[in-house]
Amino acid sequence: MRRPAVLGAAALIAVALPGTAFGHATLRHAIPAFQSRESVAPREVLLRFDQTVGLIPHAIEVFARDGRRVSGTPTFGADHRLVRAPVSGLVRGGYTVRWRVLSSDGHVGAGVFTFGYRIAAPPPTQAYGASGPTWADDFARWGLFVSLALLLGSLGIRLFVLREPIPDRLSKRLYLFAGLGAFATIDVGIAAFILRAEDALQLPFVDLMYGDLSPFATKTRFGVAFVAMTLGFALVAALVVLSWLLDAPKLLRPAFLVALGFASGLSLSGHSAVEPNSTWFSQLADFLHLSAASLWAGGLVTLAFAVWPLAPELRRGAFLGFSRLATVLVGLLVLAGTYLTILRLPAVHDLWSASYGRVLLVKLAIVSLALAWGAAHHFLVRPRLERGDAPRGLRRSLLGEMSVAMAVLLVAAVLVNSAPPPRPVAGSTQATPAAR
Amino acid sequence: MTPRAEIVHWLFASGFLLLGMLLLAEAIVGYDVWRKRRWRTYLWPSLAFGIGVFLWPVSVFFTNSTLHMVAHASWAETAMIAGAAQLALARGKLHSRWWTLAVSVSMAVSGLAFLIHEQNPWFFSRAAFLHHALGWTVLVAAIFPIGQTLRPRAFGWNVGFAMTWVTVAVLLFADRDLAPIFGHLSPLAGAPR
Repeated sequence: MRRPAVLGAAALIAVALPGTAFGHATLRHAIPAFQSRESVAPREVLLRFDQTVGLIPHAIEVFARDGRRVSGTPTFGADHRLVRAPVSGLVRGGYTVRWRVLSSDGHVGAGVFTFGYRIAAPPPTQAYGASGPTWADDFARWGLFVSLALLLGSLGIRLFVLREPIPDRLSKRLYLFAGLGAFATIDVGIAAFILRAEDALQLPFVDLMYGDLSPFATKTRFGVAFVAMTLGFALVAALVVLSWLLDAPKLLRPAFLVALGFASGLSLSGHSAVEPNSTWFSQLADFLHLSAASLWAGGLVTLAFAVWPLAPELRRGAFLGFSRLATVLVGLLVLAGTYLTILRLPAVHDLWSASYGRVLLVKLAIVSLALAWGAAHHFLVRPRLERGDAPRGLRRSLLGEMSVAMAVLLVAAVLVNSAPPPRPVAGSTQATPAAR
Repeated sequence: MTPRAEIVHWLFASGFLLLGMLLLAEAIVGYDVWRKRRWRTYLWPSLAFGIGVFLWPVSVFFTNSTLHMVAHASWAETAMIAGAAQLALARGKLHSRWWTLAVSVSMAVSGLAFLIHEQNPWFFSRAAFLHHALGWTVLVAAIFPIGQTLRPRAFGWNVGFAMTWVTVAVLLFADRDLAPIFGHLSPLAGAPR
């Protein structure tokens, strides 16, 4: 029950807490440093805070990869801003430092970081005690995909399907969708980032509010992607708002390009970027797969909830235009998806023997349904519209296809947070572990 | 490498001071005179929107606590939305005067958040004092946009709204990362610098 509470509370706080927080102790300096590679075994872990702290149980704990605790009893250093703990028995490997101190304001400040002794330090998300993504992370990732789809879909329909000028009420609705999509992408991204860090920090909710996120923001791929994406989508939100205010639809082009560019953050921070066989081409394929899916799903939302109810005169043209665009998108989706499947599943039997493969099978089944639905629209409805007919129940059908597309995004979110099966190493019976 | 928090606060204080001065100028010359030049009506909403945009980097580059990051992110977002609503009113994209309440809601939430968040007493340190002072200032001042919604030309409401941001600027300019307030500094807070 803790995870849903964290998700809900993080979302609420994202809306309701515009303040600053500098009343609690902040870690200023650590030896060994965050994610450092130490060639000589450290004899102690030393933490310097910006203000006086109180020692509480488990103030500093250092764990080896196997969970063995290698740290002794923490004590104060020269003053009560310096906390140190002796460490001994280090062998070559990655180590996790967990710290918890009582701030002078009564809050418990906490954090986690890693260092490596004679090896590169593992990322903080792989700290000892981290359990990996759960369904809450999947849900947050899904929210991120849906927000992105709303943003890209509404912008894409306006730029590539509809012809200017468009009716004012439709224009307002499209701006509303794009604005909501941009802000939701930022907000859900923040919630997803906090959830991901919470898994490594392993803190109760109140302590999580004072948890140190800087090792995650600066030393992990997903953290760096989060920083870049937040700034990028803030720019997109600003461009969309200015486009609306200034009646300047031309600003939507840079907004679309920036949104598309920063959507690549998801590909550059997902498992497509950290697998041993990852290449720039696989990351590009993942980006194309994600972008095409977002544009397709978001386009359906826009057609069903903006064009259909607000501009009956544009329905036919919009449907035919989207049908042409969707053909290209589905082609990209299938090609990139097939390539990534072959890359990530070393053997066919992984499809039913590995959990990643089973989730992929579910996704393929839902994608097949979506493709069949889209094909029916393309081959049955489109010719009738081109002849000038007005098929009944088309909006309901669009809503159906849109619902299936949302389900595809949900399963895709689960898949992205899952680890592909390990790849066999050439000339060995051992396998390399897959990274998340 | 990120600048010290107090320097960032001073930068934003400059923005709020300019915001306050613009609003004060409008209040002094009057609603109708100020609007004789249309571009002048865009000034303070644009500045509020811009402050919101520039708060995003603060949010993601100062991540030493979850609350710190989330707080600045939400502040950035509410400033952008409140500024955009005012720009839309000035531009004629929105017509209902009740949209002015977006500013009031944003200020009320902001003020409450300051007060809920700050756990230390007023005289713990200058930062704690400023949190309390900023919280009460912004919370109480949320009444001014309500007054402006009902009586846009009323001098009192307009001056009150303008002086709120001048006060916020002064409080932010007074910020130091670790400093006493009226000679008080809790020994728990560490050495002043």
